Amino acid sequence: MSKHHVTTVINGDPVEFLCQPNTSLLDVLRNELNMTGTKEGCGTGDCGSCSVTLDGRLVCSCLVLGVEAQGKEIQTIEGMANGETLHVLQRKFLEHAALQCGICTPGFLIAARSLLERNNNPTEEEVRFWLAGNLCRCTGYNNIITAVLEAAREMRGA
Amino acid sequence: MQAEVATTPVKAVKVTFTAGFSRRYTDSIREFEVQAKNIRGVIRAMNELFPGLGETLEEETSIAIDGVIHEVDYTQAVKPGSEVFFIPRIEGG
Amino acid sequence: MLTNTKDIQQVMKVVGTSPVRPDGVPKVTGQAQYGADYSLPGMLWAKILRSPHAHARILSVDTSKALALPGVKGIILGSDFPEHPFDYVGPERVAQNYWHMTRNIMAREKALFEGHAIAAVAATTAAIAAEAVSLIEVQYEVLPHCIDVEDAMKPDAPLLFEDMITRGVEPAPTKPSNISKRLEFSTGDIAAGFASADEVVEMSFKTAAVHQGYIEPHSCLARYGADGQCELWSASQGHFVVRAYTAKLVGMEIGNLLVHPAEIGGGFGGKTVVYVEPMAVLLSRKTGLPVKIMMGREDVFKSTGPTSGSSMTVKIGVKKDGTIVAAEGLFKFQAGAFPGSPVMNATMCAFAPYIIPNVKSVGFDVVSNRPKSAAYRAPGSPISAFAVESVLDVLAKKIGMDPLKMRLKNAVKAGSPTAWGPKHSHDGYAETIQALLDHPQYNKPLGKNQGRGVASGFWFNGGGESTASVHINEDGTVVIATGSMDVGGSRASMALMAAETLGVPYESVRSTVADTASIGYNHVTGGSRVTYATGIAVVEACNKVIEDLRLRASLMWDTDIKNVVWSDGYAKPVDPSVGNFEPLSLKAIAAKRGVTGGPIGYEASTNAGGQAPGFSTQFVDVEVDPETGHVKILQFVAAQDVGRAIHRDYCAGQIVGGVVQGIGWALNEEYIYDSKGRLSNAGFLDYRIPVASDLPMIEAILVEVPNPSHPFGVKGVGEANIVPPMAAIANAIENAVGRRMTELPMSPPRVLAAIDAG
Repeated sequence: MSKHHVTTVINGDPVEFLCQPNTSLLDVLRNELNMTGTKEGCGTGDCGSCSVTLDGRLVCSCLVLGVEAQGKEIQTIEGMANGETLHVLQRKFLEHAALQCGICTPGFLIAARSLLERNNNPTEEEVRFWLAGNLCRCTGYNNIITAVLEAAREMRGA
Repeated sequence: MQAEVATTPVKAVKVTFTAGFSRRYTDSIREFEVQAKNIRGVIRAMNELFPGLGETLEEETSIAIDGVIHEVDYTQAVKPGSEVFFIPRIEGG
Repeated sequence: MLTNTKDIQQVMKVVGTSPVRPDGVPKVTGQAQYGADYSLPGMLWAKILRSPHAHARILSVDTSKALALPGVKGIILGSDFPEHPFDYVGPERVAQNYWHMTRNIMAREKALFEGHAIAAVAATTAAIAAEAVSLIEVQYEVLPHCIDVEDAMKPDAPLLFEDMITRGVEPAPTKPSNISKRLEFSTGDIAAGFASADEVVEMSFKTAAVHQGYIEPHSCLARYGADGQCELWSASQGHFVVRAYTAKLVGMEIGNLLVHPAEIGGGFGGKTVVYVEPMAVLLSRKTGLPVKIMMGREDVFKSTGPTSGSSMTVKIGVKKDGTIVAAEGLFKFQAGAFPGSPVMNATMCAFAPYIIPNVKSVGFDVVSNRPKSAAYRAPGSPISAFAVESVLDVLAKKIGMDPLKMRLKNAVKAGSPTAWGPKHSHDGYAETIQALLDHPQYNKPLGKNQGRGVASGFWFNGGGESTASVHINEDGTVVIATGSMDVGGSRASMALMAAETLGVPYESVRSTVADTASIGYNHVTGGSRVTYATGIAVVEACNKVIEDLRLRASLMWDTDIKNVVWSDGYAKPVDPSVGNFEPLSLKAIAAKRGVTGGPIGYEASTNAGGQAPGFSTQFVDVEVDPETGHVKILQFVAAQDVGRAIHRDYCAGQIVGGVVQGIGWALNEEYIYDSKGRLSNAGFLDYRIPVASDLPMIEAILVEVPNPSHPFGVKGVGEANIVPPMAAIANAIENAVGRRMTELPMSPPRVLAAIDAG
């Protein structure tokens, strides 16, 4: 199989890569582009650790082919902070101990940001259901939910 | 005239094993009394009763001294009248 | 050192707060490197061929076509690993038998479970390695298999090992079986005990195997040099243990293997053993190139150790006033393809929270054709507790006693006996019960199909070997290093204890995990031992530093060392008569280190003992849907004696995390095998762990009854919390709909069947 040439924008930067047609976007990010912030937990779209956004839509990058990124905009965890300034969600995750081992954290942050872009005042239930596609085995979710609600509050200026 | 030296007997250290361990290594006897000031002494005393037992105790057990669990450590002191219990070593997850 | 268990008058400055952890920013920005995140130039990818059969003799393996594929650089089989004699070494509870262990890494004579590794291929790309795997031709002679523990114990069961004679039985059996071991703990006279009881309940239970479910699959990167030196980057719960196992399994000297601790994406006990590391090292040696292995999720389920499934019978007798007079337990645990289930822990922990004069606890360790079990958070204890805590609930109802009050009546404290030998040496259990009795929600009335259940649990907690180093930098900031992998924030806890001991701000302490060549031996991060044992090493190293700082100050002031005290982060004269000296900070002393003796730093190591066990008592409110059998958690309150919380939020996080794993264990998680012994649900879709929408906020209560053997009173916190939830939920379901569930998981079809059965 010969490789395809793909042109895309990742975290606001123009990026080009080569990949075979059956390579996942997750594998492209991690192995071609050395962007290992996005994690593989299952490879079958069940755990959400590989969450990225594709043209603003929250997706599991293990279920997207690398070639599908052609001409699209991707956001990964590496683009979440603004230089030295953490995104409010990242800050709240740290303040509220919303991570223990941290492997699920990039996926949760991407997913939570996606929620708050659509709904800046979610209820606890709405947060729990939106994040139901992200598995965490360490925290029991308490502090993740709290961190997201607190981030929403700060972002609203409330 | 003969001087009589009265000696106060030093209370022995009580050494106990689990039923399973005693069946395997100490002829099913579970309790012993030995004279020892530290764990090294306890192990030496038990090894004298059952040659080879000392190494088994070092490799395979933890100890509870009056209920407080310790790793087997030669220098760990034991008081007269202490109870030393050899228990299976435990690992967690 | 604290001198009594109840009296904490010390005012802590930083211990007990909740600062941000040192590895926090790297983890929220995706910069932290986990096991699969390392690369080296020229790196090869390895993929593993696994048995599709649950039980089969391996007649031949032909790798010729695979080797011929362009890009394939090397293939290993079981025969590439050195052989080990059949011999159980080390402590009985965790006796290692390297003859078994090497076969668990890669099969030799037989494939003993679906997913058993047969061969591993290293190639220039993962895709080529995967293609090469499919070109390896294996001739199998498929054999009959057994999965369930009762089936494996039957006299006509297919044998995994034709020469397995049950240990622990006198006289030894003449016929081989799948029963690796029998063990027993007993005290008193149970016949007399039961005869004196007013109420006796005997029930049988079954539990399914459950996986630790860490989100990060096993991964590592190995680079073996032509000089016989190997470096390994591995995500594990203990890089020193990884070094020891890997070196032994591949036939290397420990000193030639350097293991770097990658960040770990969850372990819970499952990463205290090795799977991929020996393969990566051997392949790197064979090919002369670095080799990376990352397990896929399906392989994690099929070939790494879950905890055991079980079949249990528990009988308990009580007096009308709630006093427990006798208890008997029979625990049959399935160990997977090689011996080593946590049945000994289970038999010891089962009745441990209670003062019972007559106890008999018997365990069987049984092999069957499924992956070898590995430790899972308080291994064994949650399983036997499911049975014991359910029976206690039935008895409490029979005598009309509140279940918490019945537990309180029989609760062990310092000086109480155990069934397996020594006395308990610490209080704390009763306090966890009291915390729930005092909880405002405990007596809150519930509605239709709603119920409340309680349960308690016990775990030993560990001590053991740890080493820590503490150095003062030239600018007075502090660097501490340990060899304890950080799974949940322990770097922060170490820094808190160091900062408190030295009297400096938390922010001035940098806390790291060092590789195996840069720090002394540390045992695994598991068994709830790190804050305890490694904390002791950190404090000891700090105390050595303080002694040296006093000496340096005395030299700077040209006075005797006994005139110098260390207080609140400064060297101070013991009283004004010594002289008019300003207090000296770490920065000031470090600046003068050259003339006072050179760099300031010390290492301390310990083989810590004196640890206190963990007790947890929990109550849960559930609502059962009588149409679907679905059980909803309405409220969950978990109290645990943590001795002293070093980092309050991380302590509470451990309790909540363990409870939620317990909820999954109770309600959904199990291994589902088909008739050919193949796993049907080897993925997170159908192996259903709890998600955020399943749960309410879980409430954790930190009870603090300090342990005087630790400088800050710490008791291990990680594990005891997973012991009670399954029984608590079973008891709540019974309270809600009057059905007693005796099989885990209590999934909707099972609960519905129980409701419909009437």
